[in-house]
Amino acid sequence: MSRESNQALIERWKDEPAPLLPLLHAFHNRDGYLSDDAIKAVSEGLRIPLAELFGTVTFYHHFSREAPGKAAPRVCTGNICCLHGGDDLLESLKDKGATPMPCAGRCDDMIPVIIGDKAYVGLDKDSLEHRATPVPAPNPGGSTECLFAHIREEGRNTLTGYRATGGYSALKRTLKDSTPESLIKLITDSKLAGRGGAGFPTGMKWKAVADAPGDPKAIVCNADEGEPGCFKDRAIMDHDPFALIEGMTLASFATGAPLGFIYLRYEYPETERLLEDAIEDARASGLIGENILSSGHTFHLYVRRGAGAYICGEEGSLLNSLEGKHPFPRNKPPFPVTHGYNDKPTAVNNVETLASVPHIVENGAEWYRDLGEGDHAGTKLISLSGDIQRPGNYEVPIGLPLSTLLYEWAGGPKEGRTVQAVTMAGLSGGFIAGEDLNITLDEPSIRSKGSFLGAGGIMVLDDSRDMVKAAHDAMSFFAHESCGKCFPCRIGTQRMTERLGGEANTLEPSAWIAEIEDIGSTMMSTSACGLGMAAPHVTKSLMKYFPEQVEAFLAKG
Amino acid sequence: MTEHRSDLVEQKLSTLTLDGKLVEFTKGETIYEIANRHRKEVPTLCYDERLEAFGACRLCVVEVEGIRKPVASCTTAATDGMVIKTSTETIEKHRKTLLELVASENRNVDVNALSGYSSQEMTILVDRYSARTGRFSGKQSGTSNTGDKNPFILRDYDNCISCYRCVRVCAEREGDYAINVMNRGFHTQIITEFNNDLRDSNCTFCGQCVQTCPTGALGDKKALRDADTEGEIKKTRTICPYCGVGCSVDMLSKGDKIVGIQPAMDGPANEGALCIKGQYAFDFIQNDDRLAKPLVRRDDGELHECEWDEALDRAAEGFKKVKDQYGRHAVYGIASGRAPHEAAYTMQKYIRATYGTNYIDNCSRS
Repeated sequence: MSRESNQALIERWKDEPAPLLPLLHAFHNRDGYLSDDAIKAVSEGLRIPLAELFGTVTFYHHFSREAPGKAAPRVCTGNICCLHGGDDLLESLKDKGATPMPCAGRCDDMIPVIIGDKAYVGLDKDSLEHRATPVPAPNPGGSTECLFAHIREEGRNTLTGYRATGGYSALKRTLKDSTPESLIKLITDSKLAGRGGAGFPTGMKWKAVADAPGDPKAIVCNADEGEPGCFKDRAIMDHDPFALIEGMTLASFATGAPLGFIYLRYEYPETERLLEDAIEDARASGLIGENILSSGHTFHLYVRRGAGAYICGEEGSLLNSLEGKHPFPRNKPPFPVTHGYNDKPTAVNNVETLASVPHIVENGAEWYRDLGEGDHAGTKLISLSGDIQRPGNYEVPIGLPLSTLLYEWAGGPKEGRTVQAVTMAGLSGGFIAGEDLNITLDEPSIRSKGSFLGAGGIMVLDDSRDMVKAAHDAMSFFAHESCGKCFPCRIGTQRMTERLGGEANTLEPSAWIAEIEDIGSTMMSTSACGLGMAAPHVTKSLMKYFPEQVEAFLAKG
Repeated sequence: MTEHRSDLVEQKLSTLTLDGKLVEFTKGETIYEIANRHRKEVPTLCYDERLEAFGACRLCVVEVEGIRKPVASCTTAATDGMVIKTSTETIEKHRKTLLELVASENRNVDVNALSGYSSQEMTILVDRYSARTGRFSGKQSGTSNTGDKNPFILRDYDNCISCYRCVRVCAEREGDYAINVMNRGFHTQIITEFNNDLRDSNCTFCGQCVQTCPTGALGDKKALRDADTEGEIKKTRTICPYCGVGCSVDMLSKGDKIVGIQPAMDGPANEGALCIKGQYAFDFIQNDDRLAKPLVRRDDGELHECEWDEALDRAAEGFKKVKDQYGRHAVYGIASGRAPHEAAYTMQKYIRATYGTNYIDNCSRS
């Protein structure tokens, strides 16, 4: 294939919606890195000031600025992969220009290595293989599932297979018999709430978008899944992509949004192609695009791939990233429901939330509500990883005891070990340990222990693990991903990392502890977004559950 | 008309409670603006009233009843009935911690006041909060760009606190977009495209970034030449002598020496803006080459100092000779662009009335 000219690439993208990321990827794919020449061409083509574009490019850690660039292996050195030898694997691939990458969302598998547009897994450099995302194991508790109800069925990720297992009947029925108002009412009644972690009631969000003035409105699916230890959205997108697409189409009908984006993290290259193909198939069958199923409703959906930045999972950053701006979080209010993509009303929803929608429409609000334990409504996907017999994605009734998940569903810790702690919300919720492991998997129970369920990533750490090191690894992730906008997070995550890494052990233990507490308190109270507010959960829970390990660490000097 | 009046009534009715006192505000005002109006001394480091509020430093956080966490007052619009506390024990503790943190990332807290208009902001706040404690020590952020040899702007990023006021003033006020932010988190760094020198960028050397920098990380190289010169810095308000805009400036002097220029933030014509000439081109005033007395060329062919009467006589003689010999259009007057209105008027009258020619123009067009 001949090398496409700068002009040809710019012409292809410049009039598309949200063109910056795909255009940068086009240059990155063509040359293997983003040269000065490419950045100048994009700056001119999209009329973005050169210094601003250069700054934005350097924000994303997966955009290379020199060869071997994109072709060089990126090895996951996330918290779980490091337990499996991620650092050694990285070292062994250094001669090929390998660089580390934070958690790549495959903690239920071996260590992922991304080379070009392929994700490989393996434990050493000779055994790397390219294979599909693991399919969730059959529900061990025998509980009724929503999201995973059909995910294990053969061919579910093709349009034919999806339709054969009941797919698209929800959309058909809604477009034929329903109104946006009644769809919003149904979702409100189901008590579906944001599964990305914020837990905002989905029906209320959609109503706010539907009621807000301004056009065109947009539906943005947050598929950035950057939280370490979270890999549930990947499973949905890879094995049940049409559930997401149908869910987004329903959301567009409810809100009156003719435009949609799936903002997908860089680390899922195969998923991008899969989604693109799925959207194409849906379009060919009249299920997306102009005048869907002759209903008069129009919805255009685009996939936009990120380039490596955890903060782009924060909705303000995500929207700035889509718009081609520097991906700092936005000040709120105003919220995206009134000022979202291009300052128009926008519903930003997580993959899991949107993919639940067709099931809810199909089975009814009451059915969904009743899936939860006791008073809790619905289900939650949990990505379970670490020192556990059967890591993987589990769909649990909200309110399930954590111990049931750990011991009955996932087989408990490895032979001869005990569970020392688990993380919550990936890393953002810090650790839960000791007696508090008797929590149930719902926000009220977990919040009563000072943590939160968030996106549903739970990493298990057994009694062989050094908790100060685990806290250090967690904090260095947050420091690496801090965007640099607000002072408490930018400086705080750095200082915490230094202290947990033993760089400040000359301090008296009491001074060390006071510094950690003061930084943590100020970060939690004054940070501009969730990253800085959540990161101190790590230190707070470390001190709460493991004071003796902290003491021993400080005594080492 | 009626509608307009009801608007006014509605605006008037917007009130909130600020530190226990009921105050009125206009819709659209931020909490910070209101607090500032009531002289609350809410600290900030990333705030410049000429720029869009950014919300980076978080020093301006205040407590609002009903909101669990403190809110950044600079980015939060006031709403009717809000109950706000601008200074509580908890808030003051956070502010002190933030200032200790920000002091810990810099090489030094103290910088020479000649660095720029806002250069003492951080020092003043650190002292106000007794935050010179040395807590939170660790790696320093930012790398000074000592290789940038431009003669005007010092880029001492070891003292940068990533408030991005420089980036924002360059974009929002100047429209130059010469600088931006590279990298993320603790590794952010202010750069031009491809991290080159300012001379290779869109920078016009207006010095606005220098004047808004709250730490002196960006410094006025010309003024800093006199950092060690004896004497207090004296500020004298005057008008820039260059073009006709009439920018207000504060001339900085030590003793009899002019050491620098700073824009007047309250200058009606410029509101704090300046260009490269007004900001940096003042050396001519005290240059040794500047003529202090008229010079005339005498019979020996050399230039000699003389009194004005002699010089003017010689000039008049020369002009008259030219006019007599070559006609009235042999004279062409060019007025300086720096001439004030009255002088420009006099100049054209002189050329037209004395010589009878319309050959009169301004230096920026001839």
